[in-house]
Amino acid sequence: MDTLMMFLYAVAVLGALLGAVTYAILFERKVIGYMQIRNGPNRHGPWGLFQTIADVTKLLMKEDIIPTAADKKIFVLAPVIAFAPAFTVFAVISWSDTIYAADLNIGVLYFLGVSSMTMLGVLMGGWSSNNKYSLLGAIRGVAQMISYELPLVLSVLGIVILVGSLNLRDIVYFQAEIGLWFIIPQFLAFVIYIISAIAELNRSPFDLPEAESELVSGYHTEYTGFRYAFFMLAEYTYAIAISAFATTLFLGGWLGPAFLPGVAWFLLKMCLFMFLWFWLRATLPRARVDHLMQFGWKVLIPLALLNIVITAIIKVWMGW
Amino acid sequence: MSIKTETMTLNMGPQHPSTHGVFRLLVEVDGETITKAEPIMGYLHRGSEKLAERFLYTQFIPYTDRLDYMNAMTNNYVYCSAIERLLEWEVPERAEYLRVIVMELNRIASHLVWWGTYLLDIGALSPFLYAFRDRDHCLDLLNEISGARMTFNYVRIGGVKWDAPEGWVDRVKEKVKVLRENINEYDTLVTGNEIFQSRTIGVGKLSKEQILDWGISGPLARASGLKMDVRKDEPYSVYDRFDFDIPTREEGDVYARYKVRIDELYESLKIIEQACEQIPDGDIITKKGQRIMMIKPPAGEAYTRAEASKGEIGVYAISNGKNKPYRIKLRRPSFVNVAILQDLLVGQNIQNLVAIFGSLDIVLGEVDA
Amino acid sequence: MFRLLKGFGVTFNYFRKKKITIQYPDEKVVMPERFRGIHRFFPDKCIVCNLCVTACPTDVITLTGKKSEENPKKKIIDTYNIDFQGCILCDFCTEVCPTDAIVMTARYNNLSSFNRSEQFKDIKWLTDNHVYGHYEESDPVPEMGERGERK
Repeated sequence: MDTLMMFLYAVAVLGALLGAVTYAILFERKVIGYMQIRNGPNRHGPWGLFQTIADVTKLLMKEDIIPTAADKKIFVLAPVIAFAPAFTVFAVISWSDTIYAADLNIGVLYFLGVSSMTMLGVLMGGWSSNNKYSLLGAIRGVAQMISYELPLVLSVLGIVILVGSLNLRDIVYFQAEIGLWFIIPQFLAFVIYIISAIAELNRSPFDLPEAESELVSGYHTEYTGFRYAFFMLAEYTYAIAISAFATTLFLGGWLGPAFLPGVAWFLLKMCLFMFLWFWLRATLPRARVDHLMQFGWKVLIPLALLNIVITAIIKVWMGW
Repeated sequence: MSIKTETMTLNMGPQHPSTHGVFRLLVEVDGETITKAEPIMGYLHRGSEKLAERFLYTQFIPYTDRLDYMNAMTNNYVYCSAIERLLEWEVPERAEYLRVIVMELNRIASHLVWWGTYLLDIGALSPFLYAFRDRDHCLDLLNEISGARMTFNYVRIGGVKWDAPEGWVDRVKEKVKVLRENINEYDTLVTGNEIFQSRTIGVGKLSKEQILDWGISGPLARASGLKMDVRKDEPYSVYDRFDFDIPTREEGDVYARYKVRIDELYESLKIIEQACEQIPDGDIITKKGQRIMMIKPPAGEAYTRAEASKGEIGVYAISNGKNKPYRIKLRRPSFVNVAILQDLLVGQNIQNLVAIFGSLDIVLGEVDA
Repeated sequence: MFRLLKGFGVTFNYFRKKKITIQYPDEKVVMPERFRGIHRFFPDKCIVCNLCVTACPTDVITLTGKKSEENPKKKIIDTYNIDFQGCILCDFCTEVCPTDAIVMTARYNNLSSFNRSEQFKDIKWLTDNHVYGHYEESDPVPEMGERGERK
């Protein structure tokens, strides 16, 4: 019985995720369009609602090209390895008081550990394409993702010290108990988390692996048709997963006034994060590789360590 | 025992999102540092200088439009000015003022295109759209006076083709105010941005000696400390009646070139306002210039130059008394500026390549003719 | 650090403003009267002087004339063709025509076709091209919306 419920939950989350990614892609184009004084897509369906479906149908109908000199097995496996970890972390996120899959006592560790495997997919995609531009993109991507794992993890540690547990549901209950969401006492950690998350996701302003004007699409240059759609799916799934994680940690999960159910509050807060990613993409130019590395290692890590020290001192002296 | 390494040859080929046209750049990279760069051009060569030998003098004007298509009025002007010097004609005042207004409007449009596409190369997506909205204001004005949005064919030998329609000069004055507000907004959005500054300050420095050696002109020269502008050194048309500055900077890096071009936008707006105040009534073309097919300059040669938005453009015309030119030679600024890439790119990394290449502001129609 | 944040304010302001997109093909841009669009021909005004043929830089105009019956010294136009595969819409033909028999209208979108032979327009098509433009005997200019589009 338990396995059946697990299976149904997984299928339901996958279905909801596919729908969410479809509309996230559409809303990214609409929001960026509005910020650029133009309408986004508005031809397919009222207000452009069927645009992504049309795009995916087109991608499915394209010819599947694998370059002759490419490493076939790794080429085929790369999108799968990019997508699978991003989807697996949804097992540990709880959408409301009662809707959750696994109440792991090491939820935070599980999330951060599994989600860092997506960089393998990037590296495999870039290497197996046998293309100099893809290789450059993959090298930059891996360097960036590894460097920004550290500030990501360190920024979360402040919260773990305050709560005393790695369980995600305990973190939300603690925020309900003290009456404040963690964005206020841990504002520095919030800023560091946001910046590291953008670098992890390969989005603007840190989108060097897929910098269009320099590397002609970076590590997924050689992918066509459905494999390309798979890489896009992996990127947006990871974005939704990181937004969900940030909501749980910093914005109080499903907490909110009682006129809307908990799930609705969770989804609203996630949408706020997605809007933030789109807003950043429309506004900021791209950073350069060496600046990126310097910023990550020389600025963010010391700040995150400072945050941990201050939190620890406050906890011991004020006895929280 | 050291590891054997090889340099990789990367071909930023004729089709590339950021080479601003069909231009090929062959670079050899060692990791991410460039050791050798070789620009290869000629993919857009259409033989304009040879074609000039079979046209009548006026029939060549549409071909000058298509050289630097962002800045077509200045090209038209410099060609007509060379032929007028051969013929020794005096152009009426109203025609000169109209020429100045449309040339400065075109300079604004060209710099806006440069701004939008340069930021697109750097990675910001929105300024491109804002720049093109403002460029549309300029192009609408130019559409009303000349009948086309990009290849104007407006300046004639001896004057201009049509007079300004009713109320055009007032519309220009209003649009100048709108443009000034919008350009102020661009400063907030981009110039102060820390990421943009860290990518452009200190990158791609050009020294004064390099500029004089390679023959570079325009905003590139002014950003390295040389105060070179044809409008002040050898005033042509009626430029000596206006009061404007030449923005210069000392550093010579990409950020300095950026600031010089933004300051030039403000100066052009000043010139347009003054020209709209001072414009007199009168003829728009000399009497003999109205018969466009019968222009026959006496035998001789003439060279004129003007300040296009990319640099100094010159036309050298040789006539042997017939109604078709013997030889027209075009000194195109982008063709001369692009040669510095061999020197400038050695030792940079690939992201700086894109920033430097964009700051040179080349147009392929001009590089290849 | 904070100059970066001012840039966010600019993009957010544009989020709320009115959009400037013109929804082609439902709304079209109205060109000014002087716009150099597709030609229109008036056969009664043409005196077969061949100036347009010599003025054209790309040599796309071809014409033949025949003797008129009333006055054997004059000629009237028999065939007149413009090949739009080569026309660069430069406006020299209208500039040199002494009687304004060939003019340019302000319409820009009635030339698309599915094969190349349709680009070779003859006298009948050019005469029937009744669109407004910079000449006498024109149709009324269509109404413009505030962004320049035609309703």
